[in-house]
Amino acid sequence: MKYLDLAMNAAASLGAEYADIRIQKTTDQVIYLQNLSLKHTNTEVLYGYGIRVFKDGAWGFAHSNVFSDEAVLATVQKAVDIAALSASVNKTKKLRLAPERSYIATYKTPVKIESLDVPLHEKVDLMMEVNRTMLAYEGIKQAVFYLVIHKDEKLFASTLGTRLDVTTQFIDPMIIATAVHNGDSQSRTFDEGGRAVGWEWIESLNLIDKAKQIAEEALIKVKADVLGPEQRRSLILDPNHLGLTMHESVGHPTELDRVLGWEADYAGISFATPEKLKNYRYGSEIVNFVGDNTLKEGLATHGFDDDGVPGQKWHIIKDGILNEYGSTRDTAMEIGLDYSRGCNRATYYFDQPINRIPNLYLLPGTKLLTPGELIADTEDGVYIQGRGSFSIDQHRVNFQFGGDFFWEVKNGKLFRPLKKVIYKSCNPEFWNSCDAICDERFWQPFGVVNCGKGQPSQSARMTHGSAPARFRNIRVGGSQ
Amino acid sequence: MNAEKIALYIKNHCTADDYSLHLNKSDSHQTRFAQNGITQHIAGEKLEITLNVSFGTKSGSCTVNQDDDATLSYLLKTAEDMAKLAPEDPEFIATAAAAKLPEVDNCDAETKALQPKQMVEIVQQAINKAKAIDATVSGMTEKHYGESFMFTKNGFVGSNCSTNFAHSMTLKKGSVETKVDYDAKRFAPFSLDKDFARLAAQAEALQGMQSFEPEKIAVILRPGALQELIWFMGWMMSRRQSDEGFTPFTDQLGKPFFGDKFSWYSTLQRPELSADPYNHEGIPAEEICWVKNGVLQNMPCNRHWAQKVNAKPCSGYNVYIPGADVSEEQMMQMVPRGLIINRFWYIRTVDGKTGELTGMTRDGVLYFENGKVKHAINNLRFNEIPHDATRRILALGATELASSEMYVPTMLIDAFNFVDKTSF
Repeated sequence: MKYLDLAMNAAASLGAEYADIRIQKTTDQVIYLQNLSLKHTNTEVLYGYGIRVFKDGAWGFAHSNVFSDEAVLATVQKAVDIAALSASVNKTKKLRLAPERSYIATYKTPVKIESLDVPLHEKVDLMMEVNRTMLAYEGIKQAVFYLVIHKDEKLFASTLGTRLDVTTQFIDPMIIATAVHNGDSQSRTFDEGGRAVGWEWIESLNLIDKAKQIAEEALIKVKADVLGPEQRRSLILDPNHLGLTMHESVGHPTELDRVLGWEADYAGISFATPEKLKNYRYGSEIVNFVGDNTLKEGLATHGFDDDGVPGQKWHIIKDGILNEYGSTRDTAMEIGLDYSRGCNRATYYFDQPINRIPNLYLLPGTKLLTPGELIADTEDGVYIQGRGSFSIDQHRVNFQFGGDFFWEVKNGKLFRPLKKVIYKSCNPEFWNSCDAICDERFWQPFGVVNCGKGQPSQSARMTHGSAPARFRNIRVGGSQ
Repeated sequence: MNAEKIALYIKNHCTADDYSLHLNKSDSHQTRFAQNGITQHIAGEKLEITLNVSFGTKSGSCTVNQDDDATLSYLLKTAEDMAKLAPEDPEFIATAAAAKLPEVDNCDAETKALQPKQMVEIVQQAINKAKAIDATVSGMTEKHYGESFMFTKNGFVGSNCSTNFAHSMTLKKGSVETKVDYDAKRFAPFSLDKDFARLAAQAEALQGMQSFEPEKIAVILRPGALQELIWFMGWMMSRRQSDEGFTPFTDQLGKPFFGDKFSWYSTLQRPELSADPYNHEGIPAEEICWVKNGVLQNMPCNRHWAQKVNAKPCSGYNVYIPGADVSEEQMMQMVPRGLIINRFWYIRTVDGKTGELTGMTRDGVLYFENGKVKHAINNLRFNEIPHDATRRILALGATELASSEMYVPTMLIDAFNFVDKTSF
């Protein structure tokens, strides 16, 4: 596209040390069905470009939705002007960019069936059937099916000579059954958090069976007991639940921009400071976290990030020790790294990219261990499935999590269903209490498509994963 | 934004039985700084055009961000195609008819005219002030101008323009972190000197933190803390969700569900507060009392549910909680000991039916005893039910602008339920 060269030539001629342009078309289809009533059926197309200029140790970023030579040149000029204003403040605190080479490449999320091409009536027919299935259960008062299909088509060019053509997409079905009984109301949710695949995934999920399962479990949950006072117990966490736990307690603290204090005013900073690299015991020896933006079907697998840095795979925590961060070109140099891990991503064309969590997962245990064996080996604990309430402090130390479905474990057996379970823990106590992880046969990915961060706020996506794991001696109890 | 041109295109070409058109245009400048340097700097205009259409009770919608004829044609065709393929909606409701909308004043010419250079100077001055006290500052300076427009086939026409200026600062000095922010529709009342002096004073008061174990204890919630709780409680107050049994407010309309010192309004009478003249359904903003002296009077109710339960549709558009005249010093005299909370952070729902929330304190907690501040303490986690907490209100302070949409007082609340602490 001619605007790529036009913008980069203009930026260079205006003295940019580095510049890039990202022409991005984002298509979202959102369908929200509640109790057989379509509350929202919308297709949104946002198309425009963002131009980043780096000059004298500072960024300027300007965006536009007008495609003409004049508009592109005016946007470049605006970005240059803003960079100059930023530089006037950064005289003694200049940013630096980690070196990077140029690339000419194409990346596309592999899909068998384009989700946006599937006729609406086919989607709605399935959603209605799922709704009807849940509502057929007496006591289920609300049935929800929320479907998001998202596609980004990007053309990227930089003054390094990089030219990228990147198309990524994901699909995220979520179904919720809510039961009301005896003055209480409890929900059970099927939500795998989205996956970078096509409609073929939906066809493989057997959502009617999932609907029956969550409706039945919502009814069990609303009638279940409350655990009672908090005490130290074992926790067995399923991969879906652990996806959120690792997101909050490992993913965010190891974003290098937080470590540097760049999120101090809003999302917060991190306890995992650079002097802890290679020596801080973040978790027990069986805890290994990998950042992997090459992960198949991973939501952060984009080929390249919005710095034009290719996707990579690296240990963030190795044998329990803090090993490395997720970084970007402008954060890496601040701790003396001469390379970026490729974690700079923007949501829409009008967003300046920021340091985001990569696809991040817990490696499975190396010894053969099934979830059944893990439960059989646990005398007194709680088994948590799915995601619930989550809250963590702004240094990413103290946290409290709920869940979606709970079983009390007694003497190696699932003893009784529970509701309103919460647990409290902190870093590094929590990951150091991990004493067993099931093997690779039970490893599952789970996505996050709504990771909010930044000012102005952006929503990013990434995939997490794990096998079921056990944590000893955690404070677990019932809510009020 | 050429709203008339877009509206004319839709009027001339839309074949649907009913439709509503929503236009939003914004022009923003955002300067983000951290650790005494600028890390992000963003400028640009945005446009959003959304068309909702229906054939009978079958509905669909489309959103685009360009207004050329080809894109408008796509907008129309996509929305109409989606509607034609949709099933009949048992809860369908026709678009709003013509309505008398309130006069509002959300737009300030001086704020709209604010230049990037002025904003960067504010950032520079904030950094200079931080450096002068051997501290670092992080935050964001931002300006927004927006125009919106809505019309329906049934005759509703509404428009609004708004401005907003915000400047936030988190100061880090030694191990102390604390924050002050300004967020209002007008730039003129903003004073960097005043805000930074408050920030520096907060930081000074927080030196010498001592460890404190969680317990049920009286709290003085400053407006910045209270607003966080109110947002979350407000999101649970849906008339339909409550009528269907999913919230703590089920069967509570007309009953003294809150403490009698607690009232809550959305109002057009406070000039400091922004107030959209209508919501996305075309419900006009009007004076609404949600809670009066503890009695639940109203809950937000969309047009479909209002028709079903024979209620008047209503929607919240800002928050006004009346205060009184008790100072923090007087509040500290009213209980033997307690905590002063600047802000809360990361509040989440623990149980939607009971209304229980969890969250952390942030940016400074002070312990007081015998009417005097003793020292700062570590941050704490709470698990609390906000409507229960209103029954434990002991005193109200003067009302302040916590943000452009929130005008709330300082509150003294007894026995606030802290359950955990963090290491800083």
